[in-house]
Amino acid sequence: MAKVFLGMSGGVDSAVSAYLLREAGHEVVGVYMKNWSKNLPGMKCPWAEDLADAKRTAVRLGLDFRVFDFESEYKQKVVDYMIEEYKKGNTPNPDIMCNQEIKFKLFAETAFEQGAEMIATGHYAQTDGKNLLRAVDENKDQTYFLYRISADVIPKIIFPVGGMNKPDVKKLAEEVGLTVAHKSESMGVCFVGEANIKDFLGEFVETKPGEIRELESDKVLGLHDGAIFYTLGQRHGLGIKTGLPYYVVKKDMDKNIVYVSQNLNSLSLWKKEIQLKDIIIRGEHDLSKLQARIRHRAPLVAAKLEGDMLIFDDEQKSLTPGQSIVLYSGDNCIGGGIIA
Amino acid sequence: MIYLDHAAATPLSKHAFEVMKPYFDTEFFNPSAAYLPAQKTRYAYEAAKDEIAHVIGAKGADLVMTSGATESINLAFSTISKDAKVLISAVEHQAVRACAARTNNFEEIAVDKNGRVKLEDLEKKISPEVELVSVCLVSGELGTLQPMSDISRIVVAERQRRAMASEKRPIYLHCDASQGLGLMEAKVARLGVDLLTINAAKVYGPKGIGALYVGRGVKVNPLSVGGGQEMGLRSGTENVPATIAFATALTDAERHLSAERKRLQGLKQKLTKKLATIPNIKFHGNQKTQLPSFISFSVPGVDAERIIFALEMDEIYLSTGAACAASKGVKSPALKAIGLTDEEIAGSLRISMGKLNDEENIAEAGEKICAAIINEQKRLNRG
Repeated sequence: MAKVFLGMSGGVDSAVSAYLLREAGHEVVGVYMKNWSKNLPGMKCPWAEDLADAKRTAVRLGLDFRVFDFESEYKQKVVDYMIEEYKKGNTPNPDIMCNQEIKFKLFAETAFEQGAEMIATGHYAQTDGKNLLRAVDENKDQTYFLYRISADVIPKIIFPVGGMNKPDVKKLAEEVGLTVAHKSESMGVCFVGEANIKDFLGEFVETKPGEIRELESDKVLGLHDGAIFYTLGQRHGLGIKTGLPYYVVKKDMDKNIVYVSQNLNSLSLWKKEIQLKDIIIRGEHDLSKLQARIRHRAPLVAAKLEGDMLIFDDEQKSLTPGQSIVLYSGDNCIGGGIIA
Repeated sequence: MIYLDHAAATPLSKHAFEVMKPYFDTEFFNPSAAYLPAQKTRYAYEAAKDEIAHVIGAKGADLVMTSGATESINLAFSTISKDAKVLISAVEHQAVRACAARTNNFEEIAVDKNGRVKLEDLEKKISPEVELVSVCLVSGELGTLQPMSDISRIVVAERQRRAMASEKRPIYLHCDASQGLGLMEAKVARLGVDLLTINAAKVYGPKGIGALYVGRGVKVNPLSVGGGQEMGLRSGTENVPATIAFATALTDAERHLSAERKRLQGLKQKLTKKLATIPNIKFHGNQKTQLPSFISFSVPGVDAERIIFALEMDEIYLSTGAACAASKGVKSPALKAIGLTDEEIAGSLRISMGKLNDEENIAEAGEKICAAIINEQKRLNRG
């Protein structure tokens, strides 16, 4: 039995994790990571309520509880990164960065400094002590967000709910009387990830309006309020009134122009191969026989990695620079890269 | 449930609930309308204001009804000019602190270890540019009564000095009576205040209704303009049902004031005696100058919030020392002002008793609170 520092978000998954770890006989220290506390337009940051929920669960289970204040590091490593990426015209994923830099690096380091032997979180993922593996609940699997965590830390992680189905987690929470059993679930892992990106960026970046042009004709179809806000493949929020929908197919950040097309088969939208950057691969694998996930919850598709080029068996739609493609060999989440 | 947080909210009294109901239903009229039924609603509203005013020794026309204490406090602060200086006690509620902070020119009046304003400090700080002195009737965190009439004497002396010196700048005394009202006498003349904030939510009235007493000759600037209700000082259709319920609740509280004080004093003695068995416990405030409903204490080393979460499992509800501040991780300025260490502040709890308490549930609460804290001390010692 180990001394385990468990990241507690105030949600049901980490609460059930706390219960399971305690039942397994571990000495558990609940930790709330305070990463962000600022309200955003139209969104109240629920950190104080989440902290109270996490602490309440810890008290009910008789666990030690601490707060790690990572606000300045989170701002620096996650938010600033995110803003920089958007400025470049990319669409970054803050949750992935948060896991890489905060939850499985800074939190882990701080926990080990304070005497932890293992760390745990309420993520839906598994490990075999060496590899990061997909969760039992295919529908909830969060390895997409975890693919960048360091190989060194994996042997020291416990994912107590990774082997369970989400409905069973909720049921268990209710059975053992955890007060967060019915707490509404947030989609993203981080608050910042949930915010309306337009509102969020509006707080940090000055934007100017620009033209929306049709790719094929170069005709100006309307105005946008900043190319930074648009993502490849995006269909809504373009403000173009026509019969068939337009899709964002290209962005020119220097000229602040968003290009759109009605042609779903536009070459800019569908790609058979894509260049990746910041690739990480944990361990030795046959890179010619991989499965790739191009976004959270997207079905796995066959692909091979040759150098920094990922080649799909079939064409894929809306591969967005800044987003991650995560690679699997069977159940093993071996790593992945960021679309260049 | 054993509810020990009457300083945060009180349940609406059945009597108050009954009297307000018709004004949602059959007597729903807009009191500004011309026809007779609306006029009757207006009369009922004005009578309720008179009734509320009577409790504080004023007339209905001296009151501006508001949405609660926070709005009343903001309205009280509207009296000052742009370059004015403000003095507030070091144990004020966040609403007063925030209003003062907005002026960019305020000072805190120091308090003694019991949280009572130091009069000599007020005398020292009451300079010619001070336009408003704001001191609570009772500190919400400590239950400490403030020496309002002594404070008033100092303010009046300064006002007289200015008159003699032909200085034009006015000076007013505002008292936030949201805590204490209904449990002690609060007559404006005896307190010597120019502005008095009162609130229904802590005297078994409804939430969302309060008032500001405005003394004669005191000029307040409306926060909202419109139809000119409340003599133009607070536009917007009058909250008739809540005002009527406030009047009833306050009158009922006033009627039973001395009996209720005595009853609470008895409960407080018993509970205090029981709590005194907790190792290292420290009580805040002086019995003589503390409201009979309040017990404020700290147990250094213990995290008060853990105690709250442990006791809620037994359906016992109380508050950390700084009710509003605690959950945000902000250290309570009031507890700091009475000289508590950070450790003591973190281990501070507040019990505020009231109608929902009796001998039996206070005895049970005493047992359970002691057990929860001693349990936590043991847990910490093991670690």
